[in-house]
Amino acid sequence: MNYFAQGFAKAWELLLHMDAATVSAIQVTLGSTFCALCAALLLGLPLGFALGYCQFPGRRFLRLISDTLLAFPTVLIGLVVYAFITRRGPLGEFGLLFTVPGMVIGQTILALPIVVSWLAQAVENLDRRCRQTLLTLGATPRQLILLTLRELRFAVAMIGVTAFGRVVTEVGIATMLGGNIRYATRTMTTAIALETSQGEFGQGIALGLVLLLIAFLVNALLVILKRRGRT
Amino acid sequence: MNLLYEGHNIQQIYAGVTVLALTSFVLRRGEVLALTGPNGSGKSTLLRLLAFLERPAHGELLWRGGGNAPRRDVTLLLQEPYLLRDSVYRNVTLGLLLRGQKKGLREAFEAAMHAVGFDQTAGMAGRSSHALSGGEKQRVALAARLALRPKALLLDEPTSSVDVQSARAIVNAVRKAIDAGTSVVYATHDRQLLDALGGRELALGTGSLS
Repeated sequence: MNYFAQGFAKAWELLLHMDAATVSAIQVTLGSTFCALCAALLLGLPLGFALGYCQFPGRRFLRLISDTLLAFPTVLIGLVVYAFITRRGPLGEFGLLFTVPGMVIGQTILALPIVVSWLAQAVENLDRRCRQTLLTLGATPRQLILLTLRELRFAVAMIGVTAFGRVVTEVGIATMLGGNIRYATRTMTTAIALETSQGEFGQGIALGLVLLLIAFLVNALLVILKRRGRT
Repeated sequence: MNLLYEGHNIQQIYAGVTVLALTSFVLRRGEVLALTGPNGSGKSTLLRLLAFLERPAHGELLWRGGGNAPRRDVTLLLQEPYLLRDSVYRNVTLGLLLRGQKKGLREAFEAAMHAVGFDQTAGMAGRSSHALSGGEKQRVALAARLALRPKALLLDEPTSSVDVQSARAIVNAVRKAIDAGTSVVYATHDRQLLDALGGRELALGTGSLS
Protein backbone atom coordinates (compact mmCIF):
# COMPACT_ATOMS: atom_id res chain seq x y z
CA MET A 1 0.00 0.00 0.00
CA ASN A 2 3.07 2.21 0.20
CA TYR A 3 2.87 3.10 -3.48
CA PHE A 4 -0.67 4.28 -2.93
CA ALA A 5 0.41 6.72 -0.23
CA GLN A 6 3.30 7.82 -2.40
CA GLY A 7 0.87 8.37 -5.23
CA PHE A 8 -1.25 10.64 -3.06
CA ALA A 9 1.81 12.57 -1.87
CA LYS A 10 2.91 13.05 -5.48
CA ALA A 11 -0.58 14.11 -6.43
CA TRP A 12 -0.66 16.89 -3.84
CA GLU A 13 2.80 17.99 -4.93
CA LEU A 14 1.72 18.20 -8.57
CA LEU A 15 -1.41 20.13 -7.72
CA LEU A 16 0.28 22.49 -5.28
CA HIS A 17 3.10 23.31 -7.71
CA MET A 18 0.69 23.62 -10.64
CA ASP A 19 2.54 21.00 -12.67
CA ALA A 20 2.42 22.06 -16.34
CA ALA A 21 1.27 18.70 -17.71
CA THR A 22 -1.43 18.40 -15.07
CA VAL A 23 -2.68 21.94 -15.63
CA SER A 24 -2.64 21.40 -19.40
CA ALA A 25 -4.78 18.26 -19.08
CA ILE A 26 -7.26 20.14 -16.88
CA GLN A 27 -7.39 23.06 -19.33
CA VAL A 28 -7.87 20.83 -22.36
CA THR A 29 -10.59 18.85 -20.60
CA LEU A 30 -12.56 21.87 -19.41
CA GLY A 31 -12.04 23.77 -22.67
CA SER A 32 -13.17 20.96 -24.94
CA THR A 33 -16.06 20.04 -22.66
CA PHE A 34 -17.27 23.65 -22.54
CA CYS A 35 -17.11 23.98 -26.34
CA ALA A 36 -18.89 20.65 -26.86
CA LEU A 37 -21.59 21.61 -24.36
CA CYS A 38 -22.19 24.98 -26.04
CA ALA A 39 -22.44 23.32 -29.46
CA ALA A 40 -24.78 20.61 -28.12
CA LEU A 41 -27.04 23.18 -26.47
CA LEU A 42 -27.05 25.39 -29.56
CA LEU A 43 -28.08 22.50 -31.78
CA GLY A 44 -30.03 20.48 -29.26
CA LEU A 45 -32.33 23.07 -27.70
CA PRO A 46 -34.24 23.92 -30.90
CA LEU A 47 -34.28 20.26 -31.96
CA GLY A 48 -35.45 19.04 -28.57
CA PHE A 49 -38.09 21.74 -28.34
CA ALA A 50 -39.44 20.94 -31.81
CA LEU A 51 -39.44 17.22 -31.04
CA GLY A 52 -41.35 17.72 -27.82
CA TYR A 53 -43.68 20.50 -28.91
CA CYS A 54 -44.56 20.05 -32.56
CA GLN A 55 -46.71 17.32 -34.06
CA PHE A 56 -45.41 16.07 -37.41
CA PRO A 57 -45.14 12.75 -39.23
CA GLY A 58 -42.12 10.74 -38.07
CA ARG A 59 -41.85 12.51 -34.71
CA ARG A 60 -42.08 9.28 -32.71
CA PHE A 61 -39.45 7.67 -34.92
CA LEU A 62 -37.09 10.61 -34.40
CA ARG A 63 -37.68 10.39 -30.63
CA LEU A 64 -36.80 6.69 -30.78
CA ILE A 65 -33.58 7.43 -32.64
CA SER A 66 -32.66 10.19 -30.22
CA ASP A 67 -33.39 7.97 -27.22
CA THR A 68 -31.35 5.15 -28.75
CA LEU A 69 -28.41 7.49 -29.23
CA LEU A 70 -28.40 8.10 -25.47
CA ALA A 71 -26.86 4.67 -25.12
CA PHE A 72 -24.37 5.14 -27.98
CA PRO A 73 -20.99 3.78 -26.80
CA THR A 74 -18.38 6.51 -26.77
CA VAL A 75 -15.84 4.36 -28.62
CA LEU A 76 -18.39 3.89 -31.39
CA ILE A 77 -18.83 7.66 -31.64
CA GLY A 78 -15.04 7.89 -31.71
CA LEU A 79 -14.90 5.29 -34.47
CA VAL A 80 -17.55 6.98 -36.65
CA VAL A 81 -16.08 10.47 -36.26
CA TYR A 82 -12.58 9.04 -36.78
CA ALA A 83 -13.76 7.58 -40.11
CA PHE A 84 -15.00 11.01 -41.17
CA ILE A 85 -12.05 13.14 -40.08
CA THR A 86 -9.16 10.80 -40.78
CA ARG A 87 -6.97 11.89 -43.68
CA ARG A 88 -8.74 9.46 -46.04
CA GLY A 89 -12.20 10.42 -44.75
CA PRO A 90 -14.66 12.91 -46.27
CA LEU A 91 -13.55 15.65 -43.85
CA GLY A 92 -9.88 14.65 -43.89
CA GLU A 93 -8.76 17.83 -45.65
CA PHE A 94 -9.60 19.89 -42.55
CA GLY A 95 -6.92 18.16 -40.47
CA LEU A 96 -9.17 17.64 -37.47
CA LEU A 97 -7.85 14.27 -36.33
CA PHE A 98 -5.83 14.42 -33.11
CA THR A 99 -6.85 18.01 -32.46
CA VAL A 100 -9.10 19.57 -29.81
CA PRO A 101 -11.73 20.57 -32.42
CA GLY A 102 -11.81 16.94 -33.55
CA MET A 103 -12.46 15.87 -29.95
CA VAL A 104 -15.13 18.55 -29.61
CA ILE A 105 -17.02 17.13 -32.61
CA GLY A 106 -17.15 13.70 -30.96
CA GLN A 107 -18.06 15.12 -27.56
CA THR A 108 -20.83 17.23 -29.12
CA ILE A 109 -22.30 14.09 -30.68
CA LEU A 110 -22.10 12.45 -27.26
CA ALA A 111 -23.93 15.33 -25.53
CA LEU A 112 -26.47 16.07 -28.28
CA PRO A 113 -28.88 13.15 -27.63
CA ILE A 114 -28.93 14.04 -23.92
CA VAL A 115 -30.00 17.60 -24.73
CA VAL A 116 -32.48 16.62 -27.47
CA SER A 117 -34.16 13.67 -25.75
CA TRP A 118 -34.34 15.15 -22.28
CA LEU A 119 -35.59 18.52 -23.48
CA ALA A 120 -38.22 16.85 -25.68
CA GLN A 121 -39.31 14.87 -22.63
CA ALA A 122 -39.40 18.00 -20.45
CA VAL A 123 -41.47 19.86 -23.05
CA GLU A 124 -43.89 16.91 -23.33
CA ASN A 125 -44.23 16.77 -19.55
CA LEU A 126 -44.84 20.49 -19.21
CA ASP A 127 -48.36 21.27 -18.07
CA ARG A 128 -50.47 21.91 -21.20
CA ARG A 129 -52.12 24.80 -19.37
CA CYS A 130 -48.78 26.65 -19.67
CA ARG A 131 -49.22 26.95 -23.45
CA GLN A 132 -52.89 27.89 -23.12
CA THR A 133 -52.07 30.50 -20.49
CA LEU A 134 -49.33 32.10 -22.56
CA LEU A 135 -51.61 32.21 -25.60
CA THR A 136 -54.50 33.71 -23.65
CA LEU A 137 -52.14 36.36 -22.32
CA GLY A 138 -51.36 37.27 -25.92
CA ALA A 139 -48.01 35.59 -26.60
CA THR A 140 -46.84 35.53 -30.21
CA PRO A 141 -45.36 32.22 -31.49
CA ARG A 142 -41.83 33.50 -30.82
CA GLN A 143 -42.74 34.69 -27.32
CA LEU A 144 -44.43 31.35 -26.71
CA ILE A 145 -41.25 29.40 -27.51
CA LEU A 146 -38.99 31.69 -25.44
CA LEU A 147 -41.34 31.74 -22.45
CA THR A 148 -41.80 27.98 -22.56
CA LEU A 149 -38.02 27.53 -22.50
CA ARG A 150 -37.84 30.04 -19.68
CA GLU A 151 -40.46 28.06 -17.80
CA LEU A 152 -38.28 24.99 -18.32
CA ARG A 153 -35.13 26.81 -17.24
CA PHE A 154 -34.38 24.47 -14.35
CA ALA A 155 -34.84 21.45 -16.58
CA VAL A 156 -32.60 23.04 -19.23
CA ALA A 157 -29.95 23.80 -16.60
CA MET A 158 -30.13 20.24 -15.31
CA ILE A 159 -29.78 18.89 -18.83
CA GLY A 160 -26.72 21.10 -19.36
CA VAL A 161 -25.14 19.98 -16.11
CA THR A 162 -25.82 16.32 -16.86
CA ALA A 163 -24.38 16.63 -20.37
CA PHE A 164 -21.33 18.38 -18.93
CA GLY A 165 -20.82 15.55 -16.45
CA ARG A 166 -21.13 12.95 -19.20
CA VAL A 167 -18.62 14.66 -21.48
CA VAL A 168 -16.05 15.66 -18.89
CA THR A 169 -15.61 12.07 -17.68
CA GLU A 170 -15.56 10.50 -21.13
CA VAL A 171 -12.40 8.69 -22.28
CA GLY A 172 -13.10 6.78 -25.53
CA ILE A 173 -13.69 9.79 -27.78
CA ALA A 174 -10.82 11.78 -26.26
CA THR A 175 -8.42 8.90 -26.86
CA MET A 176 -9.51 8.04 -30.40
CA LEU A 177 -10.00 11.55 -31.76
CA GLY A 178 -7.52 13.47 -29.61
CA GLY A 179 -4.72 10.98 -29.71
CA ASN A 180 -3.69 11.72 -26.11
CA ILE A 181 -0.96 14.17 -27.17
CA ARG A 182 0.74 15.77 -24.18
CA TYR A 183 0.17 19.54 -23.84
CA ALA A 184 -2.17 19.41 -26.81
CA THR A 185 -5.06 16.94 -26.63
CA ARG A 186 -4.36 15.03 -23.43
CA THR A 187 -7.38 15.25 -21.18
CA MET A 188 -7.72 14.29 -17.53
CA THR A 189 -9.29 10.94 -18.31
CA THR A 190 -6.82 9.95 -21.02
CA ALA A 191 -3.93 11.09 -18.83
CA ILE A 192 -5.21 9.00 -15.92
CA ALA A 193 -5.48 5.93 -18.18
CA LEU A 194 -1.98 6.48 -19.58
CA GLU A 195 -0.22 7.30 -16.30
CA THR A 196 -1.84 4.36 -14.54
CA SER A 197 -0.81 1.95 -17.31
CA GLN A 198 2.75 3.22 -16.85
CA GLY A 199 2.62 2.78 -13.07
CA GLU A 200 2.74 6.56 -12.46
CA PHE A 201 0.02 6.92 -9.90
CA GLY A 202 0.87 10.47 -8.82
CA GLN A 203 -0.46 12.37 -11.80
CA GLY A 204 -3.30 9.88 -12.19
CA ILE A 205 -4.44 10.47 -8.62
CA ALA A 206 -3.96 14.23 -8.92
CA LEU A 207 -6.18 14.36 -12.01
CA GLY A 208 -8.56 11.87 -10.43
CA LEU A 209 -8.97 14.22 -7.47
CA VAL A 210 -9.72 17.12 -9.77
CA LEU A 211 -12.25 14.99 -11.67
CA LEU A 212 -13.79 13.95 -8.38
CA LEU A 213 -14.05 17.60 -7.35
CA ILE A 214 -15.71 18.45 -10.67
CA ALA A 215 -18.11 15.52 -10.29
CA PHE A 216 -18.92 16.72 -6.77
CA LEU A 217 -19.57 20.27 -7.95
CA VAL A 218 -21.69 19.04 -10.87
CA ASN A 219 -23.79 16.87 -8.56
CA ALA A 220 -24.10 19.63 -5.97
CA LEU A 221 -25.36 21.91 -8.72
CA LEU A 222 -27.83 19.24 -9.82
CA VAL A 223 -29.16 18.90 -6.28
CA ILE A 224 -29.60 22.68 -5.99
CA LEU A 225 -31.32 22.87 -9.37
CA LYS A 226 -33.65 19.99 -8.53
CA ARG A 227 -34.56 21.67 -5.26
CA ARG A 228 -35.18 25.03 -6.94
CA GLY A 229 -37.14 23.34 -9.70
CA ARG A 230 -39.51 21.79 -7.18
CA THR A 231 -40.29 25.03 -5.37
CA MET B 1 -74.57 46.12 -34.35
CA ASN B 2 -71.78 46.47 -31.78
CA LEU B 3 -70.90 42.80 -31.98
CA LEU B 4 -67.82 41.12 -30.56
CA TYR B 5 -68.45 37.59 -31.83
CA GLU B 6 -70.64 36.13 -34.49
CA GLY B 7 -70.81 32.42 -35.23
CA HIS B 8 -72.84 30.01 -37.33
CA ASN B 9 -73.21 26.24 -37.23
CA ILE B 10 -70.27 25.85 -34.87
CA GLN B 11 -69.23 22.27 -34.23
CA GLN B 12 -66.25 20.95 -32.35
CA ILE B 13 -65.26 17.31 -32.62
CA TYR B 14 -62.65 15.45 -30.58
CA ALA B 15 -61.67 11.93 -31.64
CA GLY B 16 -64.83 11.56 -33.69
CA VAL B 17 -67.11 12.71 -30.88
CA THR B 18 -69.09 15.94 -31.24
CA VAL B 19 -68.51 17.83 -28.02
CA LEU B 20 -70.14 21.10 -29.05
CA ALA B 21 -72.81 22.03 -31.55
CA LEU B 22 -74.30 25.52 -31.84
CA THR B 23 -76.50 26.76 -34.65
CA SER B 24 -75.61 30.36 -33.93
CA PHE B 25 -73.64 32.41 -31.46
CA VAL B 26 -73.60 36.13 -30.86
CA LEU B 27 -71.92 38.24 -28.20
CA ARG B 28 -72.32 42.02 -28.06
CA ARG B 29 -70.04 44.59 -26.50
CA GLY B 30 -70.56 44.84 -22.76
CA GLU B 31 -72.79 41.78 -22.73
CA VAL B 32 -72.61 39.15 -19.99
CA LEU B 33 -73.21 35.56 -21.01
CA ALA B 34 -73.43 32.60 -18.66
CA LEU B 35 -72.69 29.14 -20.08
CA THR B 36 -74.49 26.43 -18.16
CA GLY B 37 -75.01 22.74 -18.65
CA PRO B 38 -73.79 19.42 -17.31
CA ASN B 39 -70.18 18.23 -17.42
CA GLY B 40 -69.17 17.43 -20.99
CA SER B 41 -71.76 19.77 -22.49
CA GLY B 42 -69.07 21.85 -24.19
CA LYS B 43 -68.79 24.89 -21.92
CA SER B 44 -64.98 24.78 -21.70
CA THR B 45 -64.76 23.91 -25.39
CA LEU B 46 -66.78 26.98 -26.33
CA LEU B 47 -64.59 29.14 -24.10
CA ARG B 48 -61.46 27.79 -25.82
CA LEU B 49 -63.01 28.57 -29.20
CA LEU B 50 -63.88 32.08 -28.04
CA ALA B 51 -60.29 32.51 -26.78
CA PHE B 52 -59.01 31.43 -30.22
CA LEU B 53 -57.08 28.55 -28.68
CA GLU B 54 -58.88 26.22 -31.08
CA ARG B 55 -60.70 26.48 -34.38
CA PRO B 56 -64.11 24.87 -34.81
CA ALA B 57 -64.15 21.64 -36.79
CA HIS B 58 -67.17 22.92 -38.72
CA GLY B 59 -68.86 26.27 -39.09
CA GLU B 60 -67.34 29.64 -38.34
CA LEU B 61 -66.79 31.84 -35.34
CA LEU B 62 -65.85 35.38 -36.30
CA TRP B 63 -64.37 38.18 -34.24
CA ARG B 64 -66.22 41.43 -34.86
CA GLY B 65 -64.43 43.46 -32.22
CA GLY B 66 -61.91 45.03 -34.60
CA GLY B 67 -58.12 45.07 -34.42
CA ASN B 68 -55.60 42.80 -36.08
CA ALA B 69 -54.97 40.40 -33.20
CA PRO B 70 -58.24 39.30 -31.57
CA ARG B 71 -56.31 36.99 -29.23
CA ARG B 72 -54.97 40.14 -27.60
CA ASP B 73 -58.45 41.58 -27.07
CA VAL B 74 -59.73 38.43 -25.42
CA THR B 75 -58.41 36.52 -22.44
CA LEU B 76 -59.41 33.29 -20.75
CA LEU B 77 -59.12 32.36 -17.10
CA LEU B 78 -58.85 28.58 -16.87
CA GLN B 79 -60.75 26.64 -14.24
CA GLU B 80 -57.44 25.68 -12.66
CA PRO B 81 -55.20 28.55 -13.67
CA TYR B 82 -51.54 28.08 -14.46
CA LEU B 83 -49.05 30.55 -13.05
CA LEU B 84 -45.51 30.72 -14.34
CA ARG B 85 -42.67 29.74 -12.02
CA ASP B 86 -42.00 33.33 -11.17
CA SER B 87 -43.06 36.13 -8.86
CA VAL B 88 -46.64 37.31 -8.52
CA TYR B 89 -45.60 40.66 -10.03
CA ARG B 90 -44.16 38.98 -13.10
CA ASN B 91 -47.25 36.83 -13.54
CA VAL B 92 -49.65 39.76 -13.29
CA THR B 93 -47.68 42.02 -15.64
CA LEU B 94 -46.66 39.32 -18.12
CA GLY B 95 -49.48 40.02 -20.58
CA LEU B 96 -48.56 43.71 -20.63
CA LEU B 97 -44.89 42.85 -21.17
CA LEU B 98 -45.88 40.59 -24.06
CA ARG B 99 -47.62 43.59 -25.62
CA GLY B 100 -44.41 45.58 -25.34
CA GLN B 101 -45.60 47.81 -22.49
CA LYS B 102 -42.70 49.01 -20.34
CA LYS B 103 -44.16 51.97 -18.50
CA GLY B 104 -46.91 51.98 -15.92
CA LEU B 105 -46.43 48.32 -15.05
CA ARG B 106 -46.32 48.93 -11.31
CA GLU B 107 -49.51 51.00 -11.43
CA ALA B 108 -51.27 48.38 -13.55
CA PHE B 109 -50.12 45.67 -11.13
CA GLU B 110 -51.42 47.52 -8.11
CA ALA B 111 -54.75 48.36 -9.74
CA ALA B 112 -55.31 44.77 -10.84
CA MET B 113 -54.31 43.35 -7.46
CA HIS B 114 -56.60 45.80 -5.65
CA ALA B 115 -59.42 44.82 -7.99
CA VAL B 116 -59.16 41.16 -6.92
CA GLY B 117 -59.06 42.09 -3.25
CA PHE B 118 -55.36 42.16 -2.36
CA ASP B 119 -54.77 45.21 -0.20
CA GLN B 120 -51.10 44.56 0.59
CA THR B 121 -49.78 44.51 -2.98
CA ALA B 122 -46.20 45.30 -1.97
CA GLY B 123 -45.96 42.10 0.06
CA MET B 124 -47.47 40.02 -2.73
CA ALA B 125 -45.33 41.35 -5.59
CA GLY B 126 -42.19 39.38 -4.75
CA ARG B 127 -43.89 36.19 -3.62
CA SER B 128 -43.33 33.05 -5.65
CA SER B 129 -46.43 31.95 -7.52
CA HIS B 130 -45.91 28.41 -6.25
CA ALA B 131 -46.17 29.53 -2.64
CA LEU B 132 -49.75 30.75 -3.11
CA SER B 133 -52.89 29.00 -1.96
CA GLY B 134 -55.50 27.87 -4.49
CA GLY B 135 -57.70 30.91 -3.90
CA GLU B 136 -54.74 33.29 -4.12
CA LYS B 137 -53.60 31.67 -7.38
CA GLN B 138 -57.05 32.13 -8.88
CA ARG B 139 -57.18 35.78 -7.86
CA VAL B 140 -53.64 36.46 -9.13
CA ALA B 141 -54.51 34.78 -12.43
CA LEU B 142 -57.64 36.94 -12.68
CA ALA B 143 -55.58 40.05 -11.85
CA ALA B 144 -53.25 39.17 -14.75
CA ARG B 145 -56.26 39.14 -17.08
CA LEU B 146 -57.85 42.29 -15.69
CA ALA B 147 -54.54 44.14 -16.12
CA LEU B 148 -54.93 43.62 -19.87
CA ARG B 149 -58.28 45.47 -19.93
CA PRO B 150 -59.67 42.97 -22.44
CA LYS B 151 -62.73 43.55 -24.58
CA ALA B 152 -63.95 40.08 -23.65
CA LEU B 153 -63.16 38.29 -20.40
CA LEU B 154 -63.74 34.53 -20.52
CA LEU B 155 -64.01 32.65 -17.24
CA ASP B 156 -64.15 28.88 -16.84
CA GLU B 157 -65.85 28.11 -13.52
CA PRO B 158 -63.90 30.87 -11.78
CA THR B 159 -65.14 30.14 -8.26
CA SER B 160 -65.49 26.37 -8.36
CA SER B 161 -62.32 25.53 -6.46
CA VAL B 162 -61.73 28.50 -4.18
CA ASP B 163 -62.69 29.45 -0.64
CA VAL B 164 -65.64 31.71 0.13
CA GLN B 165 -63.51 34.81 0.65
CA SER B 166 -61.67 34.36 -2.64
CA ALA B 167 -64.95 33.65 -4.45
CA ARG B 168 -66.38 36.90 -3.12
CA ALA B 169 -63.29 38.82 -4.24
CA ILE B 170 -63.49 37.25 -7.70
CA VAL B 171 -67.18 38.11 -8.07
CA ASN B 172 -66.54 41.70 -7.00
CA ALA B 173 -63.66 42.05 -9.45
CA VAL B 174 -65.68 40.63 -12.34
CA ARG B 175 -68.66 42.85 -11.47
CA LYS B 176 -66.39 45.90 -11.62
CA ALA B 177 -65.10 44.78 -15.01
CA ILE B 178 -68.68 44.34 -16.24
CA ASP B 179 -69.58 47.80 -14.95
CA ALA B 180 -66.59 49.18 -16.84
CA GLY B 181 -67.99 47.76 -20.07
CA THR B 182 -66.08 44.51 -20.43
CA SER B 183 -67.96 41.67 -22.07
CA VAL B 184 -67.87 38.59 -19.88
CA VAL B 185 -68.56 34.98 -20.80
CA TYR B 186 -68.42 32.57 -17.91
CA ALA B 187 -69.08 28.88 -17.49
CA THR B 188 -70.56 27.73 -14.23
CA HIS B 189 -72.59 25.15 -12.35
CA ASP B 190 -72.96 27.53 -9.44
CA ARG B 191 -76.38 29.11 -9.05
CA GLN B 192 -74.96 31.69 -6.62
CA LEU B 193 -72.47 32.85 -9.24
CA LEU B 194 -75.28 33.11 -11.79
CA ASP B 195 -77.23 35.28 -9.39
CA ALA B 196 -74.20 37.40 -8.60
CA LEU B 197 -72.99 38.03 -12.16
CA GLY B 198 -76.26 37.63 -14.02
CA GLY B 199 -76.41 38.03 -17.78
CA ARG B 200 -77.98 36.02 -20.56
CA GLU B 201 -77.89 32.27 -19.98
CA LEU B 202 -76.87 29.81 -22.69
CA ALA B 203 -77.67 26.26 -21.64
CA LEU B 204 -75.47 23.78 -23.46
CA GLY B 205 -76.45 20.11 -23.79
CA THR B 206 -74.22 17.18 -24.64
CA GLY B 207 -73.97 16.93 -28.39
CA SER B 208 -77.21 18.78 -28.97
CA LEU B 209 -77.85 21.96 -30.83
CA SER B 210 -78.42 24.86 -28.45
